[in-house]
Amino acid sequence: MRVFNLPAALLALLAGPLLATAVHTSNWAVLVSTSRFWFNYRHLANTLSLYRTVKRLGIPDNQIILMLPDDMACNPRNTFTGSVFNDKSRLLDLYDDKGALENLGMGGIEVDYRGNEVTVENFIRLLTDRWPSSHPHSKRLMTGPQSNILIYMTGHGGNEFLKFQDSEEISSFDLADAFAQMYEKKRYHEMLFMIDTCQANTMYNAFYSPGVLATGSSAKDQSSYSHHADQDVGVAVIDRWTYFYLEFLETYLNSTASDVRLGELFDYQTFERVHSDAGVRYDLLDGGELAARNKRVLDFFGNVQGVEIEDGVKNTQLDWKKDLEALQKLAARVEGEQEDVGAGVDPTIATTAKTDTVHQSKVTFDMAQASDSFFKKIAGAASLAVLGGAWMASSALTKQSPVK
Amino acid sequence: MKLLNLPAALLALLPLINPGIALPSNNYTEHLHLRPLPGGSLYAGFSFTSTTPLSSYVANNFRYFPRALAQILQYTHTAELHLRFALGRWDDESWGSRPRDGLREGGNGVELWAWLENGGDGAKVEGEEARAAEERWSDLVNSLSGLFCASLNFVDSGKTIQPVLSFSPEGTLEAGQQTRTNFTGEKQGEKQGELRLLHGMLPHEVVCTENLTPFLKLLPCKGKAGISSLLDGHKLFDANWQTMSVDVLPVCHDGECELEIQQTVDMVLDVERSMRPRESPIPRPLPMEDILCDEDKSYSGHDTCYPKHFDGEMEWSLERIFGRPIRGSCPLSTATSDDFDVTLEVPADRNIQVLAEAAVPQQSPANSLIRHYKLPEGKDFDLFLPQQPQNPSEPQQLPLEQPPLYVSRQMTGYGAERGGMHTLIRNPHPYSQRVVYLESLPWFLRPYMHTLKVSGNGRLKNMYYTPLIDRKRGTQLELLLEIPAESTVELTYDFEKAILRYTEYPPDANRGFDIPAAVVRVLPTQGEEGQGQYLRTTSLLLPLPTPDFSMPYNVIILTSTVIALGFGSVFNLLVRRFVLADEVPVSPLAGLVGRVKERIGELKAKLKGSAEVGEGVERKKAANGGPREAVGDGSVRKKK
Repeated sequence: MRVFNLPAALLALLAGPLLATAVHTSNWAVLVSTSRFWFNYRHLANTLSLYRTVKRLGIPDNQIILMLPDDMACNPRNTFTGSVFNDKSRLLDLYDDKGALENLGMGGIEVDYRGNEVTVENFIRLLTDRWPSSHPHSKRLMTGPQSNILIYMTGHGGNEFLKFQDSEEISSFDLADAFAQMYEKKRYHEMLFMIDTCQANTMYNAFYSPGVLATGSSAKDQSSYSHHADQDVGVAVIDRWTYFYLEFLETYLNSTASDVRLGELFDYQTFERVHSDAGVRYDLLDGGELAARNKRVLDFFGNVQGVEIEDGVKNTQLDWKKDLEALQKLAARVEGEQEDVGAGVDPTIATTAKTDTVHQSKVTFDMAQASDSFFKKIAGAASLAVLGGAWMASSALTKQSPVK
Repeated sequence: MKLLNLPAALLALLPLINPGIALPSNNYTEHLHLRPLPGGSLYAGFSFTSTTPLSSYVANNFRYFPRALAQILQYTHTAELHLRFALGRWDDESWGSRPRDGLREGGNGVELWAWLENGGDGAKVEGEEARAAEERWSDLVNSLSGLFCASLNFVDSGKTIQPVLSFSPEGTLEAGQQTRTNFTGEKQGEKQGELRLLHGMLPHEVVCTENLTPFLKLLPCKGKAGISSLLDGHKLFDANWQTMSVDVLPVCHDGECELEIQQTVDMVLDVERSMRPRESPIPRPLPMEDILCDEDKSYSGHDTCYPKHFDGEMEWSLERIFGRPIRGSCPLSTATSDDFDVTLEVPADRNIQVLAEAAVPQQSPANSLIRHYKLPEGKDFDLFLPQQPQNPSEPQQLPLEQPPLYVSRQMTGYGAERGGMHTLIRNPHPYSQRVVYLESLPWFLRPYMHTLKVSGNGRLKNMYYTPLIDRKRGTQLELLLEIPAESTVELTYDFEKAILRYTEYPPDANRGFDIPAAVVRVLPTQGEEGQGQYLRTTSLLLPLPTPDFSMPYNVIILTSTVIALGFGSVFNLLVRRFVLADEVPVSPLAGLVGRVKERIGELKAKLKGSAEVGEGVERKKAANGGPREAVGDGSVRKKK
């Protein structure tokens, strides 16, 4: 046993600093483009650029869910058949760089949802994992409480909504509720939500689930702009915000050991570069802004292959306690939500006040029932009498007036 | 007979007794066929075949057979599977007959058909068997959609048909099934579920690089070596016509069964377009010094001239067309030294240079149009065919095989309500042929069967027709026709276009709706073995009446306005009682109100009077003291 334990202990020592920073054991990416048609080439190029980046940084294809609503590579309008470019230099083919000898390892492209499959319904089903049993595994987001998820969305949007294929919309509340469901189902450890669309920052205001870090390309009433067009492709090839994200990732994240923090990445998106106010929402993450900014970029863009060691007996005993704690937390959160209606009240007072009102309302209800027969009858008789009196008086008066 | 059967039975039992013995039928071979076609095109046909003994398939031991696919097939009880991804049109007027007799071809988009076992446990309830098969079919298309990155899950009941005449199993299904039963240890006497053929087509499905990636992953060499290293999405999907196929079938020889997977990629490339550099595929005018000028014609400018037309064979090489040479043979191939990997079909006088770093065994039978090459292991291989002017005295050309039939299909009519389908089938041969014509129509295209006409000398021998059910099932039309020698048969029918519900329109509804290709099977003549030949028409685009999608909002707004105005006034009229003016009873309050008004009038008058007093004007009205005080109060109150 001791002989076996020594290397394990060494490994644990080595892994120590790594584990201290990253407690997640797997990385997943959901990359969504939501616009169809050739002139939206840049949105697919955005998504494919991110796809290439996360693949380059180690997330395997079966942990990347790629949603492309239209086909740009084999589009008849594409002069460069089978290729999608994100720069007018056209040095990098995003769709399949198998052609480059030194890059044989990238191994093609796998699109999980394409064409008419890219719908709001499918997207929400993917996040919440509600599928019929026959749904293939490669098209599912099989995450657990130890998974970090990167969600990237791009398309045409507006205040609190994002259009899907120009025929339907997802609102920020739909997204927030889907994330809440994910949280309740323990489907993520931490999540980085990125969105590149007009008025993107309005999309994450409604989020309320813990562990979500969100960033968008432009503030309310601002447009997100494209970066540049390629004359031979004939359309804009990439959006500004994504372009500078990629620029940062390509420059500073050269290996899977790069120790670059999220704060640096967010600070790179200045107004001079993006031409709109890129925003970040930190408050849902444990530790707030400081902790979030100090996280490694690779916690979301790279891959870890952590192993969860279960201590057998010990863990099983603790399981129910953990569940209980989680339930308590959930209950507290639900209560917290209810309090939000009367915000600003001390939680203890609020709860007692609430119980009071409940009690009171019950009492009044009882009273009303008890005095029902009486009270109502008296009130009815009185009102009738008053009305009758009024009638008599007026008729008496009207009779008088012709006499005058 | 009995004596002969005994050893066979023993042989069949052998793997049962000792499953550890590996049968020698784990094979993998690949082959590339190249043939230049008229009009500057090149046909390239790749085929990859792996086999596995059925025993190891059942025991989940795989060597060359892709495990990912095998598990799907086992789970869904699929006995035979055919999957096609296709793009473009085969130009049979100039290219001749189709490769592989059209057996490995699909309609535009994705086509899938499979033989599935019915519910095996002897389903008693009627319809139960069918339901089990449909469930398995649904599982199959869903799983394949995940495996091949295609929206195959859209093949629902509305797109599924059950053809009767058009397809017949290629493998030995019954035998395979029987053997499998032996291996899975199911009870012998039990009635096996019958096989059911289900067929689905997705004409709108895009075929692109993401479909090639999983296709290559099924191959033992994964596109890294062997002929599959030539397969590149940039070239394959730039082809004038291409089709990828995956076929799984059980094959039995002398009681020994194996499962075979055949993967093929057939394409017709435009040689000139494929050889353009990848960095600048846009054709640009050549510099003056590269243009071969036709000096016979004068041209006024010095920097331009009439280009000379070049008759003859153009220069090409594998590397220039496919972007890379073949990276050696696939080391996993079990081909023997007699099998050749590459076959090139060119006129005998064509110069060919083999560019390889190692010696390449080749064979070119004397005066034959066919040359065979064997790939060196681990070394690059390329074929270079230099430019060759045509020999004017005896131009050598490859003979073109005439296709069995020419088929074309168009839509006729105009307007958003009705239309017609018009199919021409021409038999160029001096003998009559029997064909099966299969159409699978979506439910929103409603054919009028009474208008179905077969004109010309064609004879309609048999017809299988399944009428549509709105939103649930499409039309299936299968016709057995006889096409007389050297004649053209015209097949027409009219149809009505359905109006879809608002939510049923796809996001790009204005593009039109794709109608799947018609499948034409030319039945083998009597005494001839085999499947016959297949042809497919192109898919069609049906414009349906499409609303303006912002219309509902306009309609809702307008309707609400109309309802508000109309309903408001009608409601008002209905609840109002009309009476003559003098019939109106005096309200009890009227007297009170009248008196109050009277008082106010008086007060006003008084107020006026007092104001006049203040201004030194003569007072005209007299009043008592009470109201005056009130006036004083009132004025004070007003100022407050």
